[in-house]
Amino acid sequence: MLHSGAGPNTTAGSEPAGSARLEQPSAPENRRASAGWALFGSELSVLFRRLRTWAMLLALAAVPVLIAVVVRLAADEGGPGGGPPFLNQITQNGLFVALTGLVVSIPLFLPLTISVVAGDTIAGEAGHGTLRYLLTAPAGRLRLLAVKYGAAVVFCIAAALTIVVTGALIGTILFGTGPVTLLSGDTIGVGDSLVRLLLVAVYVALSLAGLAAIGLFISTLTEVPVGAMATTAVLAVVTQIVGALPQLDWLHPWLFTYHWLDFADLLRQPISWDAFGANALLQGGYIAVFCALAYSRFSTKDVLS
Amino acid sequence: MARTWKRWLPAAVVPAVIAGGALTASLQANAAADLPDKTPQQLLEMAAGSDVHELTGTLEQQSALGLPELPKDLPAEEGGQLATALEMLTGTHTARVYRGGPDRTRLQVFDRFAERDVIRNGLEGWVYNSKQNEAVHLTLPPVTDGGDTSEDGGAAQTEAYSPEQLVDQLLESMTSETKLSVGDDTSVAGRSAYQLVVEPNSAQTLVGSMVLAIDAETGLPLNVQVQARGQQEPAFQLGYTKLSLGAPDPGLFEFTPPAGATVTEHAVPRHGSDAEKHHGKNDGGADPGGQVTRHGSGWETVTEVPAAALPDGWADSPLLAQATEVVDGGRLISTALLNVYLTDDGRVFTGSVPLEQLQAAAEGR
Repeated sequence: MLHSGAGPNTTAGSEPAGSARLEQPSAPENRRASAGWALFGSELSVLFRRLRTWAMLLALAAVPVLIAVVVRLAADEGGPGGGPPFLNQITQNGLFVALTGLVVSIPLFLPLTISVVAGDTIAGEAGHGTLRYLLTAPAGRLRLLAVKYGAAVVFCIAAALTIVVTGALIGTILFGTGPVTLLSGDTIGVGDSLVRLLLVAVYVALSLAGLAAIGLFISTLTEVPVGAMATTAVLAVVTQIVGALPQLDWLHPWLFTYHWLDFADLLRQPISWDAFGANALLQGGYIAVFCALAYSRFSTKDVLS
Repeated sequence: MARTWKRWLPAAVVPAVIAGGALTASLQANAAADLPDKTPQQLLEMAAGSDVHELTGTLEQQSALGLPELPKDLPAEEGGQLATALEMLTGTHTARVYRGGPDRTRLQVFDRFAERDVIRNGLEGWVYNSKQNEAVHLTLPPVTDGGDTSEDGGAAQTEAYSPEQLVDQLLESMTSETKLSVGDDTSVAGRSAYQLVVEPNSAQTLVGSMVLAIDAETGLPLNVQVQARGQQEPAFQLGYTKLSLGAPDPGLFEFTPPAGATVTEHAVPRHGSDAEKHHGKNDGGADPGGQVTRHGSGWETVTEVPAAALPDGWADSPLLAQATEVVDGGRLISTALLNVYLTDDGRVFTGSVPLEQLQAAAEGR
């Protein structure tokens, strides 16, 4: 199953480049760009045709479903303050299932799935012996890296949206919706709250994009995909542990997990964009550094398989 | 070989650029324009005369008092109010403040996945806590411009609050014990500001200095920093990280408690009687409720609270036991700015002085 994915990828990657060369010999830039988009499209279709991708998204979707069903079945409404944030609000408004699902998934489930996708990017191709074929096109390495990272980011968005959409749906079915109470105590309508939920999904996807860049770099270091996946996942967990140690608090603002749970700032009235901006800056830094490292490593690497 | 070297360039350049950017940003944050010189007295007058009533700002509070850091997710019921108070004195807190006129204010204290709001809109006030989903509705007494108090008192009060007089009084009471000076011009929340440095003349107090940043344009105090003796980082800091002047959305001051919230009604007693009570406490020093006595003066003042004035068993809280250390004749809560000495016979001595001085006060020396 894993091998079947790499097959169409190689042909799709080299074919458009070949045909474009015949049509527009005078415009190499154009050719490269269109070949890049074609490669991106085929990479996405490979990613989302994999059973593994759907299994991971299904597992993520199961988190809010499980929360909603358990809360529905339990007669006892835990008092305020207990359990994960927003849990006690679910019975009043189903949309909070999506938020509880995110809070529960952010520390482990989401980083785990991202690690699998990002760790597989280069190392997976190398492990299957298909990397060589992907690099036959000119200027191949940078483009391949960009396409691989782009696909990983698309998966980040898909993963965050899966939890939010499933959570909102199951919550609406089991508990119904209504005006949403924000953290500030103000109440907003269902339409506004859906916009805020989408913003939260964007925030979470952005948070994960930094981890995906780290995974991409680790993936260029090895030819064993499982090693890259495990390293990325372990790194995400270790970083969160370091982030919980008060003795290292000078280091905390520099950790990529520092703003992961700060999406609650989007649930204040008016929205506080401070955390969003700080998170974008932090993740942007990680993306820049680790994509640069990945490029340097990958472009100087001897590809033997 | 040369090609390989070039390809590692991005890996070196990108982190360097980011580090450079971070460094410049932090340097720029403190860079300030050169402001015309002012004396401490002029600065105080400027601050006292400031009449900014409309603003939107983000406040940040940092404390390094040496108190034990409490776990953030501790349920409020466990530690009670003491835990809440201690929590405000440890670590970093962020809050947003909105002012839409002299009697319209909203303060939002940000917690992780929670928020505490204090709203004042005219004669109506709300205190909302999202963690407990509890709201307290306050009804404030009408402001009558000294109509209910005697005419004399009202006039005297207005006079006392004119900026120049206030500053004069303040300076008079302070000069013997305190040294005032103007520090380097600085920049707070992107605004140029003067720095007023207040240093105690006493060598005994734990307070090293206080630095007040005053907005050069409006006289609004932008930042307060308290340095403790023998500690590099500020023991306490409260200041704006973002500030924009101008009226915020008036809808922010209209608060309706959310459905399902527990609402408590609370009427605030008249201001006049409240103020009088305070006066009695300050002047007499012998309030019938608790005979608080003072030892020493100025920065070295030690406040003594007798055992009778304190509720029974308050000192048995396990949280308090955790925060104190055993010393000669009692227990001590030691912070960078304040020492609290609990004697074995139940009295409490508080002061910004070393422990020895508190012990001396307890022994009646």
